[in-house]
Amino acid sequence: MIADAALERLYAGDPASALAMLDAAAATDTLDPALLVATGIVQLANRCPERALPALRSAVALGETAPTTLLNLALAELQAGDAARAFQLMESLELHLPEWEETPLRLAEAFRAAERMQEAERAYGRVLDINPQRESALLGLAGLLLMRGEHETARELLLRCCGIAPHRADAWDTLGFALRATGDVSLAESAFARAHELAPHVLQYALHRVEAAHASGNEEGLLAWLDVAVQADPLNPVLSAARGIVLEHLGRPAEAADALEAATALAPEACLPACLLGEVLARSNRLKAAEVALRRGIELAPDNAELRNTLATVLFRMHRHAEARSELLTSLERNGERTNELCNLANVTACLGLQDEGVALARRAIELAPDAVLPRRALCSTLSYRDGTTGAELLAALRDSSDRLPREHPAAFANRPDPERPLVLGLLSGSLRVHPVGWLTVAGFETLDPAMFSVICLAQSAADDWIARRFRSLAREWHDVDTLGDAALAAKAHALGIDVLIDLGGYGESARMPACAYRMAPVQVKWVGMQNHSSGLAEMDWILTDRWETPPALAHLYSERLLSLPDGYVCYSPPPYAPDGAPLPASSQGYITFGCFNNLAKITPRVIATWSGILRRLPDSRLVLKAHQFADADTARRVLAEFATHGVHPARLELRGPSGHRTFIGQYNDIDIVLDPFPYSGGLTTCEALWMGVPTVTMPGETFASRHSVSHLSNAGLGDWVAADIAGYADLAVAKVSDIDALATLRSGLRARVKASPLCDAPRFGRILGAVLRYAWRDWCAGRRSVGRA
Amino acid sequence: MEQLHATADADALSARISALLDANRPAVARQLLSAMQRLAPPSPVISELAVRVAVGEGRPEQALEELDAGISQFPDCAALRRSRAEIRLGMDDRIGALADAAEAVVLDRNDPAAKALLGVLLLEHRRTKDALACLNEAAAADPANPAYCQYLAAAQEADGDIDAARATLATGTASAPTRVDLRNAAILLAIRHSDFVGACRLAEEARVAGVADACTFGLMGHALSSLGHHTDAANAYAEALKLGPEDPYVRHLVAAAGILPSEPRAPVDYLRAVFDGYAERFETHLIALGYRVPGLVRAALAQHPCITQGERLGPALDLGCGTGFVAVVLSDLPVAPLVGLDVSSRMLEVAAAKQLYAELHQADLMSFLKEDTRPWRLIVAADVLPYFGALADVLAAVHGSLEPGGWFIFSLEELLPDHQGVVPGGGEWALQRQGRYAHGIDYVTGAACHAGFVIRGLQRQTLRHEADAPVAGFLAVLERPAT
Repeated sequence: MIADAALERLYAGDPASALAMLDAAAATDTLDPALLVATGIVQLANRCPERALPALRSAVALGETAPTTLLNLALAELQAGDAARAFQLMESLELHLPEWEETPLRLAEAFRAAERMQEAERAYGRVLDINPQRESALLGLAGLLLMRGEHETARELLLRCCGIAPHRADAWDTLGFALRATGDVSLAESAFARAHELAPHVLQYALHRVEAAHASGNEEGLLAWLDVAVQADPLNPVLSAARGIVLEHLGRPAEAADALEAATALAPEACLPACLLGEVLARSNRLKAAEVALRRGIELAPDNAELRNTLATVLFRMHRHAEARSELLTSLERNGERTNELCNLANVTACLGLQDEGVALARRAIELAPDAVLPRRALCSTLSYRDGTTGAELLAALRDSSDRLPREHPAAFANRPDPERPLVLGLLSGSLRVHPVGWLTVAGFETLDPAMFSVICLAQSAADDWIARRFRSLAREWHDVDTLGDAALAAKAHALGIDVLIDLGGYGESARMPACAYRMAPVQVKWVGMQNHSSGLAEMDWILTDRWETPPALAHLYSERLLSLPDGYVCYSPPPYAPDGAPLPASSQGYITFGCFNNLAKITPRVIATWSGILRRLPDSRLVLKAHQFADADTARRVLAEFATHGVHPARLELRGPSGHRTFIGQYNDIDIVLDPFPYSGGLTTCEALWMGVPTVTMPGETFASRHSVSHLSNAGLGDWVAADIAGYADLAVAKVSDIDALATLRSGLRARVKASPLCDAPRFGRILGAVLRYAWRDWCAGRRSVGRA
Repeated sequence: MEQLHATADADALSARISALLDANRPAVARQLLSAMQRLAPPSPVISELAVRVAVGEGRPEQALEELDAGISQFPDCAALRRSRAEIRLGMDDRIGALADAAEAVVLDRNDPAAKALLGVLLLEHRRTKDALACLNEAAAADPANPAYCQYLAAAQEADGDIDAARATLATGTASAPTRVDLRNAAILLAIRHSDFVGACRLAEEARVAGVADACTFGLMGHALSSLGHHTDAANAYAEALKLGPEDPYVRHLVAAAGILPSEPRAPVDYLRAVFDGYAERFETHLIALGYRVPGLVRAALAQHPCITQGERLGPALDLGCGTGFVAVVLSDLPVAPLVGLDVSSRMLEVAAAKQLYAELHQADLMSFLKEDTRPWRLIVAADVLPYFGALADVLAAVHGSLEPGGWFIFSLEELLPDHQGVVPGGGEWALQRQGRYAHGIDYVTGAACHAGFVIRGLQRQTLRHEADAPVAGFLAVLERPAT
């Protein structure tokens, strides 16, 4: 009686009360088989197989051998981890009771959980032989058939299942997959919709419906339905989350994030909405908010590898490299080696100044996925920072990476081959904003002759800062391209009639250069934006450079033809908020302060050894390093220790972490001379130092990235700050501090000098840029004419 | 599959909505507000949130509806009264706003926001002393609030106490040094009272402190320009344009300084901004400059056969009529009907007061000539084409709008060699530092002929004087041939 009453309470949804009753009864009678069976069932329901097992075993030992008891015992054994014993019990039971469908059904589920799919299929088959109407078997078998590509058969089984059990949301959901697999996209959407209607609080069903609508091109219709549904049931977080995903598909990321944030506010304990929100925010470049959402998601699902990888990329993009690395290492430890995580780890490791380790990780990723582009790209990125990388080695890696991009070329371009007509320029980038790309290119585009050039921006991850607004103001059209795949993006560029496509993103953050492999325009030009060297891309016709960046002797290290500008290859647009320069610190302090405000990725062991040598030769001198990475105490300690191994006491070094941009450039007022890193020199950083009156000692190498400073310094008339080799670099740094008065004089007039130089002369730069782009266009027109004549 | 159900924590939801509104994200706040309205009974808090959502979404009528309903349910809630005062102020219902603000102050005498709002409204009703009292109380209660500081300074300025206004803004800036709006208010105050040196000093202080936005640099440019420091002004405008690249006014001035390529004509928004701001002192200013163009137009028109024969000449169109200078000098000639056209509504208001035009239109002349199909016997453009560089389009448009035999009389400034002896713009046309274009006489001749005109006159003239120096130009009289 007590056993029956307890089970009644269990089935009524009150397992705690059922257990209490059974515990009370067991205190007086521990040998009642009925009580023991009931205890086993309740404990199984409570997911406590280790407590269910002794009760059920005792019941069987006492002679309780009803089939259900034996089956429950098998399930308890299975859940407690003894699969062999469980299978033995169930197989024995099936042998004795071949007409009882429950045993093969449980057996099938157990086989499936153990990934013994063929045995599971056979067991489901036996269930259906006994009872062709058994819905769980129909659904289970269909699921297995779908997994091994038997879509048609699976669909038939699922149609039967839905007919027998039209209330089962899981059956409709699985039917949706079967229909999608058999090409019935529209019917699949209906099936998912039915599942969603039957289980309106299950987010997965709603998301399947969204994906089906995306595949069938019915997202606007679904959005309209969801708008009404959200109004009718504003407390349902599933509706808001689904609406968010639809909005993102439709290229409305801000609204998508709003909808998903509503879902997370309504269901703060649910993991999936937080994950979805984090991913949408990360894709929208709203990194701080993304971090919050992703951390919440990880808190709720700590083993989710994708989530942790996304968080790592977000941290990376916020320059919190050490934290990113820690997340990636945790992910690799928990989930094993995965290509994407390894690639991110390679990049983040190089950014912490561990360039050799970064290159090794990228190579390991290539071993795991030799045909994938991402590991090759990670190798190119890390190689460019590593000491000793030659131009030929980097070009080969870039070609290896670019050659693996998917590509398909249009038959012909319809652009009118008139060499002198006004041209449509397309700017392709995820960095048309406050970013080195913005600082170094926007003034050039602003000063192009509007009668001869119109600009169309194809922007990824668009921002709304003041440089982004400068691009928007100069552009004839602005298109956000985040939702377009590479092929679709290329098709859009064709439709817009772009004559000259200028890539300003490379393979970097929010990069879209891979779309250039599809040929977006008759003339394709690489300019600033992750331009560590050549693009290596066969379809990239030209690269904008100058005679210092790419002297003729190095031209063979590029896959593109050179559009060599007579002055510098960029035009620096200084910020209006830059602080005024200060007098030379050495004049009042009595010692020289060297500085380098470049990314730690550029500071190699050899750079540290060279700088240490300079500091040893000038015993009173100091060195200030400033980089995001020094916000991490361990990283700072490691760098100080490395200097110490070269005999430089930590007291002579000051490592500064990140700050706002005005403060960042204002800190050049503490620096007498900048020491450029190598082989990856400063670019924008060197321009900023010059603007603040601080010259840079540099040593160019073979690669494009190694020669930025020589270009900027030469344009500012400071060619005498360029060394030919490492010994010369150290000698030059030491020599330049020998005449403090000359340094002070140079500093006091440097801003005016830079402002008047080609580096900042925007009107002059705009004219030259227009001329070289025209040259490239005329070249294409001439090619077309010669093709026509032939 | 996990089932997702909504939280039942109305307080947490309310806090989230409020935080979202603080972050200017009304769309997501609205979604959650709908949930909140299902979850909790009506309350002043929900009403306030609903109002903030509607305001954030730019729907003041909806906000007003929410407030009317909220106030009828919770009549003693001062915050709702204050919100309604703000909404009514925004909807130009100043009487209603004043009543609500006063009621809000009565309901909560310790709310500085209500007092500040009442002060602002009293100031709008020109009750300056009462406004000062309210705003002094608000600023005393919350001295760190930069908005109260600005309102108080505005009241002090309205009361004629400029020194007090200046001191209030200086104190506010000292306590909130990163507030660019306070600094800009102080610069603007100086400019309004022609203290350009003071304005430059304040703008420079803002720049050095790193608290300068596009407006600061724009005001700096204006002050420097007023002091005759044109190169520095151009540099300031260039910095303003970097931070506010959408501003056509600043963009044109930067182009005029040669920092950006010049467009073939001045933007309409630039002209509207210039002449709207200029309307009140336009005529006195031009008279002081010895502005001769209307007189030259009259002299040229006196040669017209109709005029010499005493016949009526019309219809006539005065392009860029401004305040009606041309209409005044032609008022004794039989030119009728005379229709005026300008981009500036403020200029047209002054022109309308003269009652000399049969019609006045506010439009850009290119749009007007394209849309208005009437054939004109006379079109005049006094000091208008200096805002066009390339003349081909405008001459073609005028030619198409004249009836055969019709005249087009206009003035232009002459393109002269620069200080190095070089004539800019290849001798055709060039944008000058003042934002106007100058033209070479050969270019004008060619453009007129190309458009199909016969040149009846094209004479060098002094158009006006600037800094006691004559401004050289032309007066052109063109005729659309009869056949």
